[in-house]
Amino acid sequence: MKKTLLTFLLLLIVYPVVWGSDKPARIVSINLCTDQLLLLLADPGQITSVSFLALEPTSSYMARQAAQYPVNYAKAEELIDLQPDLILAGAYTDRALILLLRKLGYRVETFPLSSSIDDIRDNIRLMAKLIDRESEGEMLVSEMNRRLEKISRAHPKRKPRGAFYQPNGYTGGRGTLQHSALELAGWKNIADEEGVVGYGAIDLERLIRSQPEQLFTSSYAPGTQSRGQQLLKHPVLRQITQGREPVEIDYKYWICGGPMIADAVEILHRSLPQ
Amino acid sequence: MRSVELIHQRMLIVILVIVMVCLFVVSLFIGSNPLPVIQAARESLLDTPTVIGLIFGEIRLPRALIALFTGATLGLCGAAMQGLLRNPLASPGLIGSSSGAALGAVSMLYFGFGVVMPLAVPLGGVAGALLATFMVYLMAGREGGTLTLILAGVAINALALALISLLLNLAPSPYAVREIVLWMMGSIANHSMTDLWTLLPGVLLGWLMLFGTGRSLDALTLGAETASTMGISLSRLRWRIFLAVALSVGSAVAITGSIGFIGLVVPHLLRPLVGFQPSRLLLTSALGGASLLLAADISTRLFPAGTDIKVGVLTSLVGAPFFLYLIIKSRRYQL
Repeated sequence: MKKTLLTFLLLLIVYPVVWGSDKPARIVSINLCTDQLLLLLADPGQITSVSFLALEPTSSYMARQAAQYPVNYAKAEELIDLQPDLILAGAYTDRALILLLRKLGYRVETFPLSSSIDDIRDNIRLMAKLIDRESEGEMLVSEMNRRLEKISRAHPKRKPRGAFYQPNGYTGGRGTLQHSALELAGWKNIADEEGVVGYGAIDLERLIRSQPEQLFTSSYAPGTQSRGQQLLKHPVLRQITQGREPVEIDYKYWICGGPMIADAVEILHRSLPQ
Repeated sequence: MRSVELIHQRMLIVILVIVMVCLFVVSLFIGSNPLPVIQAARESLLDTPTVIGLIFGEIRLPRALIALFTGATLGLCGAAMQGLLRNPLASPGLIGSSSGAALGAVSMLYFGFGVVMPLAVPLGGVAGALLATFMVYLMAGREGGTLTLILAGVAINALALALISLLLNLAPSPYAVREIVLWMMGSIANHSMTDLWTLLPGVLLGWLMLFGTGRSLDALTLGAETASTMGISLSRLRWRIFLAVALSVGSAVAITGSIGFIGLVVPHLLRPLVGFQPSRLLLTSALGGASLLLAADISTRLFPAGTDIKVGVLTSLVGAPFFLYLIIKSRRYQL
């Protein structure tokens, strides 16, 4: 009798912590970007499944950590089988799938794309709140802020001019993470000077005319061959930058907004001319 | 009479050369930004070229030269094939040489052979063009009529295009699939001098082989038997032309993608002007083809910046109605 009472009392104390706080315990992420934030913030026990893209080392920053979880292919039937209490999706995930899951009574939360450092902070905090790991979220944000501030204190007096030049002549102008990272690292983004907004193509002649001191590239699947990728080997690009090769920066730092942007900013900062 | 004709002939060539040179110069003047071209040309020759020198020497000049050599190749090969097959509808685009070349180039480029050996891509183009041309020829038969030839060409074109899209889907590069249009329509934007040097050997070799065939093609207009009594070996001529077309079209298409209708339209437009003589058609078609492709490429750059119209879109827009006109005309003859 005494024992039962004790158990009961114990349950009363423990219950609000374990069940009452509404802490999701079976989280399924179906989008590469929610995968990243989830893997960065969640308690390993909370994660039930991540998307198959999370294993891809060129685009997934958290590929190594993702390897220990079952992957999903964002198909309704397999998701239901996983019995999730929270499903995380991106802003551009298949609308029909999300509507269907919601209709079936699942909780689906979508995350907007990040195109600035502020967006990244918002998304980290949103994730932290949803999975009840708010203090971890604040730690992640302040660690990212600390790294970015350290670099901004070391900016050169004269900002050298650079630009991203991607396969098929694409570049990142205002309103992209690539632009934010370039500026934070102490470069002046030529694409922005040329009026490119978002990700857009820049004409080769215009790029050469604006005399970049350094070019950067960040492509999917480096080492593969296509006409679009061959454009980056155009001899004029090397001649305009006095023989400097374009600096290759992995795609995984900005395909999704996250604290890994600080890694990219550090690489960009190191490539400033001495 | 004979000398008057000769003067006409010389005049025609002079006019075509002038048109081609003018278009070539105009091509150098057109870009996303106005450029002091003459100053730029001078500065491109300096040891350390200036910015405008680089734009001139590394972007505009290779583009204009590639347009010139590719256009001339397509025009010349169209004239040679129409002469050889004695068929007004024979041209690199219609009988599969171009799409075969594109297939060969695609199979080399996207699977990394071009990195190991840069010449692998044009060589792939040459092999593809030769194979496709020969297959169409086998299917259509030696004395195949126009219809058979066109049907065989349609079949080989369809097969080559299907294989190109299959290969591009299987290619490891994520950018490959989007480039189907480039191979089907052709583009001469953003090429470098390196591309020109890759294209040139095969193209020039093919031209050399073709320019000697004029006399034999003239004889062939009298019929295969008459030609053979005149000491012309038809099978040797056939192989020589097939090989030459494969070499020049293969090398050019490996760089530019297949650009349609130039090889069909240009010889047709010029044939009445040279007195229907195949030997005279060769040089004039080369000049005309170069002019037409230069003009088409200039037009693509007149669209607002960033639209990236492929040059083959324009040549096909001009060429397809012309093709229809040819069909209607030939039907009228039969009626």
